[in-house]
Amino acid sequence: MHHRVLAGREIADDVVRRVTTRTLDRADVDGGPHLEEVIHETIYTEQHRLSLYDAAPRSGADRAFVGWLRHELACANRERRRELIALVVERYVNEISGHFAPQVYAATTRCLPSALAAFMHGLAHGRAIGRREWFDIDDRVLIEGHVDALQRLATRGTVILAPTHVSNLDAVLLGFVIYRLGLPPFAYGAGLNLFSSALIGFFMRNLGAYTVDRQKTDPLYRAVLKEYTTVLLERGQPSLFFPGGTRSRSGAIEDHLKMGLLGTAPIAFRHGLEAQSAKPGIFVVPCTLSYPLVLESASLIDDYLRTEGGAHYIDIRDEFEHPRRWVDFLRGLAQLDLRVHVVIGEPLDCIGNPVDHQGRSRDPHGRVVDPSRYFTVRGHLAADDVRDAEYTRTLASRLMAAFRRDTVALPTHVLAASLFSRMRRDASTPDLFRLLRTLEPEAGVDQDVAQRDVAAILDRLRQLESKNAVRIAPEVRHSSPEAVIQRALATFASYHATPPVEQRGTRLQATDPKLLYYYGNRIEGLAS
Amino acid sequence: MNVAILGAGNWGTVLAHLVARNGHDARLWTRNAQQRDEINAARTNERAIPGLAIARGVRATTDLHAALADAELVLVAIPSQSFRDVCHRASEALQPDHLVVHASKGLELGTHRRMSEILVEETCVRQLGVLSGPNIAAEVAQGKPAGTVIASHFPRLIEVSRAALGSSRFMIFDGTDVLGIELCGALKNVVAIAAGMADEMQVGDNAKAFLATRGMAEVTRLAHAMGAESATMMGLAGIGDLTVTCASPLSRNHRIGVALARGERLAAAAARLGMVAEGAHAAVAARELARAHGIEMPLFQRVHAVLYENLAPRDALEELMLLPAGHDVARFAATRAPSVSRGMLRTVSRSS
Repeated sequence: MHHRVLAGREIADDVVRRVTTRTLDRADVDGGPHLEEVIHETIYTEQHRLSLYDAAPRSGADRAFVGWLRHELACANRERRRELIALVVERYVNEISGHFAPQVYAATTRCLPSALAAFMHGLAHGRAIGRREWFDIDDRVLIEGHVDALQRLATRGTVILAPTHVSNLDAVLLGFVIYRLGLPPFAYGAGLNLFSSALIGFFMRNLGAYTVDRQKTDPLYRAVLKEYTTVLLERGQPSLFFPGGTRSRSGAIEDHLKMGLLGTAPIAFRHGLEAQSAKPGIFVVPCTLSYPLVLESASLIDDYLRTEGGAHYIDIRDEFEHPRRWVDFLRGLAQLDLRVHVVIGEPLDCIGNPVDHQGRSRDPHGRVVDPSRYFTVRGHLAADDVRDAEYTRTLASRLMAAFRRDTVALPTHVLAASLFSRMRRDASTPDLFRLLRTLEPEAGVDQDVAQRDVAAILDRLRQLESKNAVRIAPEVRHSSPEAVIQRALATFASYHATPPVEQRGTRLQATDPKLLYYYGNRIEGLAS
Repeated sequence: MNVAILGAGNWGTVLAHLVARNGHDARLWTRNAQQRDEINAARTNERAIPGLAIARGVRATTDLHAALADAELVLVAIPSQSFRDVCHRASEALQPDHLVVHASKGLELGTHRRMSEILVEETCVRQLGVLSGPNIAAEVAQGKPAGTVIASHFPRLIEVSRAALGSSRFMIFDGTDVLGIELCGALKNVVAIAAGMADEMQVGDNAKAFLATRGMAEVTRLAHAMGAESATMMGLAGIGDLTVTCASPLSRNHRIGVALARGERLAAAAARLGMVAEGAHAAVAARELARAHGIEMPLFQRVHAVLYENLAPRDALEELMLLPAGHDVARFAATRAPSVSRGMLRTVSRSS
């Protein structure tokens, strides 16, 4: 497969030039901020961040830099202020691009499967995984959907793969998917905290990740990050966006996407048209991940409940840091023949229209549409940030619709959703937090009630599936409610030290209602 | 600039007239060849808007492609129940750079879709907006002063629409709350039916104002629950449009209300007046939307009962007066609380 080899330094220089020029052009003109205010904003937001996240990676160097910046600004003339802004921008660009050099990355990705195998092997050491259950990722991952379209589009333009974000395992999983489908290497922005984890950092540094620090609120940093992503796209670099921005804390499918990141798609497309690029097409491919078990489910739901879904700093030392949890997790998948479902959704253009195999945009009646005309005024390309932001909102809502449609309902989701909603009805309180507080330790449901509830959910799911509103895993579609329950119980027990639900006699005991809530949420919002 | 106007009813014809008066090229599409010929030859459209001498720049056509070709702006003034059909037919000729503003007040029966949603479902158009306000077509045609609002997320669309339509006689305000304006336009027609009943029952101006205000409070509640800005209801498309609809005995919805208060049945009244009022459709949609969003709408519920369940208007008013009075003006949280669970849970609990 042919693709352009990009020089990392060239990209970084381009980003520095663009952001610096734009910032300086906008500053000191009518209505724009003063140069000094731009730097003040950097100092203020960075100091604030450093006071909140004392132990953030690189905080020592950052603190020193901010101190130096303050000192310099005190006696800076106009010329010096311009230099300082350029320095701040360059520093941000260097932090983001970090180790990322696409040509090196292209080479290392080829080693991914062996790296992955070596990693698993390391875990298997100490007889945690016996030979018989040797973990083979090909058996554990089911790649379905518009695979063919994705492969073809990768040769016709720039592909943005936009997956749901469930687990830190997603990046590794998608690295495998990209490799297995023979796609060119993808770049993506990974949270800074991931790099500080020894275990995950290994993958991050080898998966073409550039760095994103979500704690940085400096508008200049945001501008740099956005520009970096845009430049990569313009240069034809396939990219992986997690449009939700962060792992789903509640377990539910994303119902809110980050507009900044997605917004780079229409901008890069328009830039490509302006530059009369041979392949200006930008194709956004939804990708939905459905896990029967989620490695860090307990930490995620705890974080969700603690913050009610706010994007707060989460300590990375969760289950992901403990090799033992990985072993349990992978062994669970292998022993029970469980699969992670990866559904490649229908590709979209950057306005949200469906795209065919040849990369042509289609209207709702299947007619070919020329997407460049979304960006023209009386036949000429025209910049319009407000218009492009609105296009991005449409793109986002189409992506979320795809996520709902392509979610695969698995036994664990079905059982968790049915038990949790039964307990919620029995408790007769609409307040989630009160419910979780007041549930008795031995709260549970009679098995025949659970079977009826599961049957009702299965009916509902089948109705939704007949309208293409969800997918049902084969082991759910063709099974009795009883079989679905048994399979879910076994699945939970294979990994969770305290399974969220256990069978005791004729009752199903909810041993961890929070986890039930987490797993049930995956399919809970589908009907709305 | 070239402007296409789809629909040669009274409002579509007047909009085309305004465009042409501003010196633009107005192409007015109609299904009806006779109407086309009348407009092009006699410069009148007697059935839709009697007495208007249509400006020279208006060119009527029955060919959608001809109307839309190289039009920069497209105005759609099609009744809500045939809106989808026309969009579907126009979709072949509509292009991504078309700016489309619709001026239809209603919700699609069965689906409760708003007109902007139908446009997106049927065409490739994204740059769209909605025009609404207290605009009696005949008054605008006579050049009497009026104001209207165009809501869109695309500033250029509003700018272009202003250049096409605006004048010292027709002031165009702007907004971004497309959803709110569309809901206002559709739902206020139900309130107008109530106002018509009050007029006919001669219960006094106090009662009429009372019903209109409470009705609008219900509209605001529902619209807010659906994601609209409550301030929109204070604007031209909300209180403005309501004022003119409730005051004007010529409005179709008002006349339906009058007929019902005289004891006439909806079907008979609709047959006599030659058309079902949008408000009668909107009452059905509002009922289902209120249920889906868990909103109480006592006045709407009773207008619905008068329309479809033979409740006598006088009894409906009595019932309303016996309800406990709550807060006059609801206060809305700036952001809605995230709902912790929705969807399937609700469906399941209802079915068991």
